[in-house]
Amino acid sequence: MWRFLGRRFVQMLITLLLFQAVTYFLIDAQPGDIADLLTLDPNIPPAERERLRAQLGLDRPPAERFITYIGNFYRGNLGVSFQEYPRPVIDIIKERLPRTVVLFLTASILSFWTGFVTGKILAWRRGGWIEYASTITGVTLYTVFTPWFALMMIWLFAVALNWLPAGKFLDPLKWLDAPISANAVFARMIWSSFFALVIVFVGFWFSNRVPRRQRLVLRAASLLVPLVGMLLYWRLSGLGFYAWDIARHLILPVLTVTLIAYGGTMLLTRTSMLETLREDYVLTARAKGLPDKVVRDKHVARNALLPVWTGLVFSLGNSVSGGIITETIFSWPGIGLTLLNSALVADIPVAMGTLTVVGVMTLISHLIADIGYAFLDPRIRYH
Amino acid sequence: MTKPLLSVENLTMHYTTRGGEVAAVDDVSFSLHEGEALGLVGESGCGKTSVAMSILRLLPDNARILGGQIWLGDLELLSLPEPEMQKVRWGRISMIFQAAMNSLNPVYRVGDQIIEALELHWGDISRQQARERVAELYQLVGLDPALMDRYPHEYSGGMRQRAVIAMALACNPDVIIADEPTTALDVIVQDRILKRLTEIQKKIGMAMIYISHDIAVIAEVSHRVGVMYAGKLVELANTVNIFERPLHPYTAGLMASIPSIHGEKRDLVTLGGEPPNLLHPPSGCRFHPRCARATGICIEQEPPFQDYGNGHYAACWHPMEVDYGSH
Amino acid sequence: MAEATATTEHVYVPLWRVRLSLFWKSLRTNWAMFSENPIGLIGLGVILFFALFALAHPILMNTIWEPRVYDPISGYDMEIPFHPSPPSARHLLGTDPLGRDILSQLMYSTRYEFALGILSAVVTVVIATTIGAVSAYYGGIIDTILMRLADLVIMVPFLPILIVLSALTDVGMIELALVIGLLSGFGGTTIIIKSQALTIKVKPFIEAARVAGGSDFHIIFRHMIPNLLPISLLYMMFVVTGAIFSEAVLSYFGLTTIQMSWGIMINTTQLFGYLLRFDTWYLLIPASLAITLLCAAFYLVGRALDEVVNPRLRRR
Ligand SMILES: Nc1ncnc2c1ncn2[C@@H]1O[C@H](COP(=O)(O)OP(=O)(O)OP(=O)(O)O)[C@@H](O)[C@H]1O
Ligand code: SF4
Ligand SMILES: [Mg+2]
Repeated sequence: MWRFLGRRFVQMLITLLLFQAVTYFLIDAQPGDIADLLTLDPNIPPAERERLRAQLGLDRPPAERFITYIGNFYRGNLGVSFQEYPRPVIDIIKERLPRTVVLFLTASILSFWTGFVTGKILAWRRGGWIEYASTITGVTLYTVFTPWFALMMIWLFAVALNWLPAGKFLDPLKWLDAPISANAVFARMIWSSFFALVIVFVGFWFSNRVPRRQRLVLRAASLLVPLVGMLLYWRLSGLGFYAWDIARHLILPVLTVTLIAYGGTMLLTRTSMLETLREDYVLTARAKGLPDKVVRDKHVARNALLPVWTGLVFSLGNSVSGGIITETIFSWPGIGLTLLNSALVADIPVAMGTLTVVGVMTLISHLIADIGYAFLDPRIRYH
Repeated sequence: MTKPLLSVENLTMHYTTRGGEVAAVDDVSFSLHEGEALGLVGESGCGKTSVAMSILRLLPDNARILGGQIWLGDLELLSLPEPEMQKVRWGRISMIFQAAMNSLNPVYRVGDQIIEALELHWGDISRQQARERVAELYQLVGLDPALMDRYPHEYSGGMRQRAVIAMALACNPDVIIADEPTTALDVIVQDRILKRLTEIQKKIGMAMIYISHDIAVIAEVSHRVGVMYAGKLVELANTVNIFERPLHPYTAGLMASIPSIHGEKRDLVTLGGEPPNLLHPPSGCRFHPRCARATGICIEQEPPFQDYGNGHYAACWHPMEVDYGSH
Repeated sequence: MAEATATTEHVYVPLWRVRLSLFWKSLRTNWAMFSENPIGLIGLGVILFFALFALAHPILMNTIWEPRVYDPISGYDMEIPFHPSPPSARHLLGTDPLGRDILSQLMYSTRYEFALGILSAVVTVVIATTIGAVSAYYGGIIDTILMRLADLVIMVPFLPILIVLSALTDVGMIELALVIGLLSGFGGTTIIIKSQALTIKVKPFIEAARVAGGSDFHIIFRHMIPNLLPISLLYMMFVVTGAIFSEAVLSYFGLTTIQMSWGIMINTTQLFGYLLRFDTWYLLIPASLAITLLCAAFYLVGRALDEVVNPRLRRR
């Protein structure tokens, strides 16, 4: 297990380096260089331009420049933004990354969970209009043009029904006399939800080892305690109003990304369940006299999960794209939107920085997916 | 005779396929007594597994039971509500499947899979007791109890087979149905497991239905033998009579195709012709296209499943020598 | 089989003809299987519809549509006082904010979507089958390097790279098709095709060709690759979906230099601020629906082909 992880980690570092090299030289190969871009203003005399070029190390050979770039990167120096000069890129990333991670993580977990559960149930109910309707829903969600879908969500929930804000991170009018910054509130939201989830998780995990009668009590408690705790915390700190504003803005993007990813998981689960149903151990499970639901959940679904999890790995790229598109359309100021905006105004340092961050995020998700797989499949775990 | 433990009466079961109805089990009747081992033999595709699956009511969706009754003591299994049937499965009748190699769920420890059945049928049993029971079962089938915390992929084929047998024995069922439990194994392992299975069967005194297409294996294991052909039970008698005095020409052909259990060499006779197509079974006696003794009546009318004395039944218009005297 | 007929009989039958007839035969049996699947047929129907849609455009432009008014890029209808205008008899799907006919734009763009999809699919398949076959045939270090590379490319998120790339250079249809083809050609498709190539590598006719003294090059290109084509064809479908989708997204974000496409149509709508208005639905919905339908159609055909090519999935 540890060796597997170690190997995976090294592989990941190499991949990242290669990724950086490719992107770096891709950009480097472009006509003109950063100094040209930075000093497009014709008023700047050529001599000044040369000075800048030397200062940025652009007169060095490409290999040397790349090494400097990598060295700087791992020291956390990603350069400064052109657009928001002189704000360091790392600063921008630090601000935007949590927003993307929250959006992406919540949506991934939600879509995986709901997609798996419904796919599992649908596989059990074959035939009839339910099967048709679910297949059509699944294929539609899977193939719909993402930006359009996001627009339609805004159209429905923000414009027509007016339930939720149409985009952005917060409503500036409500924050005029906020005691602390939005980022600070957001950080507290992340931490409090994290602790709440840990309590729920530990509670449920522990509830499986106590006698049946206490099980329900424990589960209810592990749901109620964090809920009440959260309410009290936000009430007493007086920040609840602000946190709620951010949360409201978060709902629609999360829902959109969730739905986009949901279709694929649901369809894949259904296929995988139907294939697993034919396995001999499922027959054994039924022969053992297990009730239908236990056979489905404990024996079929548990095995059907493996291909679905693998599918998740392959669709990570799609989810990243979907995330970027969604962020853009909802003006959710995360990494994706930043990447696109910097690309549109040719803010190279920010574009490079965010692209690398996206790469790192993808790599980490792959690593997590691999570790998850190793836990799910004993044949890998004990290899 | 005492009341049989399990009796199958006029069981008929068809599969619906695109090509039409497959008459996989047609009017099959037999019974099983306490402590008895009944062998069920016949070519591949003659419906042996289908009979077993009908008893446990584990048939696929396209299967339909068209008639008959299955009595387990006073319970009629075919009309039993599903929750009751779930108690019968494994609690009273357990099964070792044909594909025993893949009968274990790859993601759970083998021991836990046995404990699952124990907890289901024995209700309030502590985890410790359950583990002790598994250890006991492992010793019974000749496995090291330490192996129970391993996963199926860490077992060899023979070990998996033993584990599956242990699992079938777990809840002290009244009847075990073993459907070709050893076909996937090499001959030596096969032999060892077979020996162990007969030993256990004798020791515990449970009843067993042993299914195989290999008549030699059947001879080794069973007290009585039923011979199936094309969805029908064509002959049923105790093992010695089946081998010494087969009545049905098909049984006779099967016997001739193996070296005698008493060592005297016989000619190897192979059955000519194609195995029957169950989509369109032959008229009359289903064996007639391949039977050397067939006459007009065989083509027109189905022979009745008749008692020739001594508990020797056969369905044939022109049986081989009958020397039980008349009945 | 084909090889044996061609070489042992002394009558000269060109290999390609044997192959063609075999291909034709397998096509017919596969078609029988494919046509049993309603999902695949629906997809195929949609693709055919769009193909006709694309073909009809030049005809209409040369007959009933006056170019000055109906040209998808430079047309303008002066008889309508205000643009965008809702669907009318003159403009079945209305006009865009620049006074151009939407139906004409939609039809005009279709052919480029096809061209883009097919070009990138061909690039993908050429790369993926070559790498897959070479990797399976040689094994060893070559295989390791190529497969590690594929693992790497799989992990690379597609869209961000394209976004950054298009920020740096002028990206048109052809560049886009090449980049998409390259990225998917080196990534996931290769891995799948290689595993298929491994099963072909051990077939007797490969051994026969080797014994007969065929060079590696000959074996790979004459014997392995032709046998990989069916599965390649299958993955072409998914590449087409990806390519059309990516183009639409990039164009919508205004990152391409493409003059007219479905994505550009949405981009125009956004530039003029009509994106979220109910009353100008005809600016957003036709183009979006076209993208969705064509992507879905190729995806569905791919899935149906998958059931034909991979027997494991076939319904029993
Ligand atoms: N699910 C099914 N649907 C349709 N036909 C089936 C199905 N299962 C079995 N059959 C058919 O029913 C007949 C009896 O099958 P069964 O599996 O009971 O035979 P068997 O005697 O156990 O054969 P084997 O020795 O090969 O295991 C065969 O002709 C088979 O083709
Ligand atoms: S009934 Fe006739 S055909 Fe059938 S086994 Fe007897 S003799 Fe042969
Ligand atoms: Mg069988």
